Amino acid sequence: MSNKRKAQDFLLQFGTYFAAFFSFATLSLIIFFIFTNGVKLLNLDLITHDYQAKTHIAEPLAPNDTDYFEPEETLKAEVYYSPRWGLGLIDSIDLMGKTQVEIAYVHPSSPFQQLHDKGLSHELLSLKPDMMIIRIAYSDQPSSLARYGAEQMIDELALSNQIRELEFTIPGGGIRGSIITTFYLIVFSLLFALPIGIGAAIYLNEYAKNNRFTRLLRSFIELLTGVPSIIYGLMGLAFFVPFIINVSSATSGSILSGSMTMAVILLPVVIRTTEESLKVVPDEYRQGSLALGASKTQTTFRIVLPGAFPGVLSATLLAIGRIIGESAALVFAIGTAIKDDIRVTEQSTSLAVHIWAMMTDEPANIELSSTIAIIILLIVLLLNLLIKLLTRRFLRKVSAPR
Amino acid sequence: MTAQNPIVFQIENLNLFYGEKQALKEISIAIYEKEVTALIGPSGCGKSTFLRVLNRMNDLIDSCHITGNVTYHDQDIYQPKTDVNGLRKSVGMVFQKPNPFPMSIQDNLIYGPKCQGIRDRFLLKQIVEQSLKQAALWDEVKDRLKESALALSGGQQQRLCIARTIAMKPEVILMDEPTSALDPVATAKIEDLISSLKQDYTIIIVTHNMQQAARISDKTAFFLMGELIEYGDANQLFSTPENKKTEEYITGRFG
Ligand SMILES: Nc1ncnc2c1ncn2[C@@H]1O[C@H](COP(=O)(O)OP(=O)(O)OP(=O)(O)O)[C@@H](O)[C@H]1O
Ligand SMILES: [Mg+2]
Repeated sequence: MSNKRKAQDFLLQFGTYFAAFFSFATLSLIIFFIFTNGVKLLNLDLITHDYQAKTHIAEPLAPNDTDYFEPEETLKAEVYYSPRWGLGLIDSIDLMGKTQVEIAYVHPSSPFQQLHDKGLSHELLSLKPDMMIIRIAYSDQPSSLARYGAEQMIDELALSNQIRELEFTIPGGGIRGSIITTFYLIVFSLLFALPIGIGAAIYLNEYAKNNRFTRLLRSFIELLTGVPSIIYGLMGLAFFVPFIINVSSATSGSILSGSMTMAVILLPVVIRTTEESLKVVPDEYRQGSLALGASKTQTTFRIVLPGAFPGVLSATLLAIGRIIGESAALVFAIGTAIKDDIRVTEQSTSLAVHIWAMMTDEPANIELSSTIAIIILLIVLLLNLLIKLLTRRFLRKVSAPR
Repeated sequence: MTAQNPIVFQIENLNLFYGEKQALKEISIAIYEKEVTALIGPSGCGKSTFLRVLNRMNDLIDSCHITGNVTYHDQDIYQPKTDVNGLRKSVGMVFQKPNPFPMSIQDNLIYGPKCQGIRDRFLLKQIVEQSLKQAALWDEVKDRLKESALALSGGQQQRLCIARTIAMKPEVILMDEPTSALDPVATAKIEDLISSLKQDYTIIIVTHNMQQAARISDKTAFFLMGELIEYGDANQLFSTPENKKTEEYITGRFG
């Protein structure tokens, strides 16, 4: 009997240990996977740069036979330099993870400082570090291509006397637009969802009588929490997208219609969380306020709602997490256009949808997706800390200093 | 006592029900101005219920309804057109458990006046100082007005609640066992306070403490099972009660 109990205890205890370990291990694995894949591409350029690369085709002047440009600074060992052309190149990968030849150094007197744009503008261009060379076509030998690397390109360049045309890009692939969209989305979704959600929670908890109607309303809200978000996306496509098209200059899904869809997704969570926090505000406060001759509305908005503030904050946090993480509904409601120039009445992508777009690319870009995932995690972490801080400051103000 | 003070509350044939259950039965009583009226009686006899009739706090309880007449300065306060917030402003209430709002001491005091639309900074400051002084709390908290009210001791919190009520410049103050959560020292302070407040306010206080009722009240009402058994001069009620049940209760031989 006692042995059996021991065995049972051991099994159960082992079970809890195992469950804890398993959760921890899975979580660590996910984070490990994301970091190992994503950290390569993680840099400031990715965050600040435009997505769209600007490509130019241009023609430099030919160098004189006697030209020899000694670099004015010491170049890094991995830079391949052509003194004749005054150009230093380096192997690199672009922001999206593709192999590229990057410009590391351009001598101030190099012929590459003066390029005639062969496109429509005919402006004078010059090569600058960080730009990428895609192709150099010569008049006197076959072209060099970026995919064979910087070393070969420099070697071939050294042999040539005249360049027919040069194709280069100001690098793109940054996620600046998606970051901005995400923040717009957070702001607008909260702007729609918080007042309505908090208002509904106040109605349910403070004003509504407990009758069949409110019970029905409550279970309905509960039900809405479980509806898959893609269904909200369909609803957004059917209602909010046409609505915004009707009332603004939008012609398709937009940040506004996306925010409205998102707000509907958030409503049940906001209502539930706010209501829970209203419930724990002691009744003594309400009675104390009413007994002072304050009206019901004054009591609700000046005493009860501030008392529920920490709960409202955590509702906000949950909501922000949901906004940042949502993709399925947004694919419908704002579209999947990755852009740099963000307008609230136009299509664009949030970070999560950006990941979705990268993964549906052919081939899937796991590295960039993981990098965006890291950025998302960082944003969520920061917002979490911010809200914790706000809550703590608020609580310190109202409660006893202990 | 020769000349009787004017009547503030006149209650006639008051019956109060919580749903089907009757909590007050045929109560008729008059409350006099600038006196301390104590309500005594065993637990569950309806003292708190009666107190809440006077500022209509029973409105918060859905199942509660009343019959009979309750007039405040000859105005029926249960008319449909009664200004309930106005009534509660002039008939203030202090609760059994101190319930300062989770804000600073100062904000606790100006909350009520602000709800009445008073915005003048100077006036609000004056209200804070005056009401704290009247509640005998000024000296203890004058340097920490901006600190949280929850940091005060229980007795201080209760006096703050009294000050908060005074800040509304009420005429009547209802107190429901205001000292039951306090130690003897804090209790003595509140009793002194009540005696001094009597100059300016009509006070109705529920208490379980016979000595307290005898010490501070001018009139005492004894409730039993929802009925008003005896009501009269405190001295007389405690020395020579007319009713047998009253005598049993105040001498502790009750039940
Ligand atoms: N909200 C309510 N709903 C239903 N019944 C209530 C409610 N409040 C009080 N009662 C009932 O009314 C009766 C009187 O209650 P009340 O609180 O007035 O008693 P009390 O004299 O103040 O008692 P105590 O000395 O314990 O505070 C009790 O039987 C109680 O159960
Ligand atoms: Mg009571």
